[in-house]
Amino acid sequence: MQTFKIAASIVIALLLQILFAKRFAFFQYVELPLVITVFFSLQRSPVQGMIVGMTAGLGLDIIAGGDTLGVRGFSLTLLGYVIASGSIRFSLEKKLVRVGVTVVASIANTMLYVALCKLLEKSPFTSSPDELLKIALYKALGDTVACIVLFVLLDRVFPHTGGMTIKRRFYE
Amino acid sequence: MSSNATPQKAHWILGALLLSQVLLMTWNARSANGEQSILRTWVMAVVTPVTKGASWSVDKVTGFFDGFAELRRAREQNAQLREQVERLTLERDEAAERAAVNQRLASELGLPVLPQFKSIAANVVSRNVAIWFRRLTIDRGSLDGVKKDMPVLTSLGIVGRVIDVGPNVSFVQLITDRYAGVGAMLQQSREMGEIRGQENSRCEMKNVSASVDVQVGETAVTTGLDGIYPKGLTVGAVESVENDANAPWHKIVIRPSAAVDKVEHVFVLLIEPRDLKTQEGAK
Repeated sequence: MQTFKIAASIVIALLLQILFAKRFAFFQYVELPLVITVFFSLQRSPVQGMIVGMTAGLGLDIIAGGDTLGVRGFSLTLLGYVIASGSIRFSLEKKLVRVGVTVVASIANTMLYVALCKLLEKSPFTSSPDELLKIALYKALGDTVACIVLFVLLDRVFPHTGGMTIKRRFYE
Repeated sequence: MSSNATPQKAHWILGALLLSQVLLMTWNARSANGEQSILRTWVMAVVTPVTKGASWSVDKVTGFFDGFAELRRAREQNAQLREQVERLTLERDEAAERAAVNQRLASELGLPVLPQFKSIAANVVSRNVAIWFRRLTIDRGSLDGVKKDMPVLTSLGIVGRVIDVGPNVSFVQLITDRYAGVGAMLQQSREMGEIRGQENSRCEMKNVSASVDVQVGETAVTTGLDGIYPKGLTVGAVESVENDANAPWHKIVIRPSAAVDKVEHVFVLLIEPRDLKTQEGAK
């Protein structure tokens, strides 16, 4: 049931990404799949974080229509793992800390995306450092606002099952 | 299971997942520019009807409330539109008369009559899902006769070209995309150049000599030489011209005539590069 709910969350996030980006120009600075990845990675299960990250990232690669299939899949898989591993070692459940994690994840995601595109010689929208910094900051702002709203909703759908239980499950 | 067994397993899974993404990226990067991705094509073929349904529902709900707000302006708009219909009817009749004269003169001079291309209407399903690319997804695909590199336009001007086609969906690269290019000509000076996408929903016309007099507001039209867009379609109007005394070229910013970032309905011209070659040959 839990797996089904997680899968449904990813699909809904991708559909909302398509619907909102069409209606609101500023929504192109928001990546709902990233927010979903951060939320599920903070549940202290690296495997869950990685799989959610890969699925959400690949889904975004597909719907975005760019030339870079797999780039966001790579980036969010890695971020899912790093965040989940971090959440095992440190306490990241507090609301404000989760927002901080989303900001860092958003900037890291932008940097990883641009770096991977450069490696593949599929340069994205702009290559000017000033413009990239501006985009990274706008995206961090957009993702932060989205995470504040989405985390409230997701907390209701996925109430905390107790960090220590999950932690034990991971190490046993 | 030892205490380290699961973290070890997580490392292996991480490696496998990252490797799968690297392979996907490599395969995608190795494919020729604009070549279709089967994965994307089929996923979008499934997603598009769902998105269209959701979008339709949202439109119905928001449209219901918008309807009340628009009722207040309807009377005034109605009067304006009646006036506009009368003016446009007159212009249409004049244009039809000119076209008939033009055709008669062309046949008397023995000039070939250029073919009219068929078009198909399409709805925009999604737009600029992420900041990095300027793309549209439309609800027409190969089942409707859409093929790669077909031009997409509105009544106001060109929007872009089809870069990826699925059975019921196509991806369109907008003319404002940084990697889009259109062969264009300034309508008054007849100076040719290349239009490239820029940030902020604008394009830049390149390779226009600094010695040419370019006016703000001048219209840029397609030349038909890029092998994608037929000749004479409106691209946009000159928004600004920068003249650097030391530069051999003007820096011309073009504002697209079609509202590429807001467009809801488009037309796909069912024309292939070989049709354009035939057209050029006929000339």
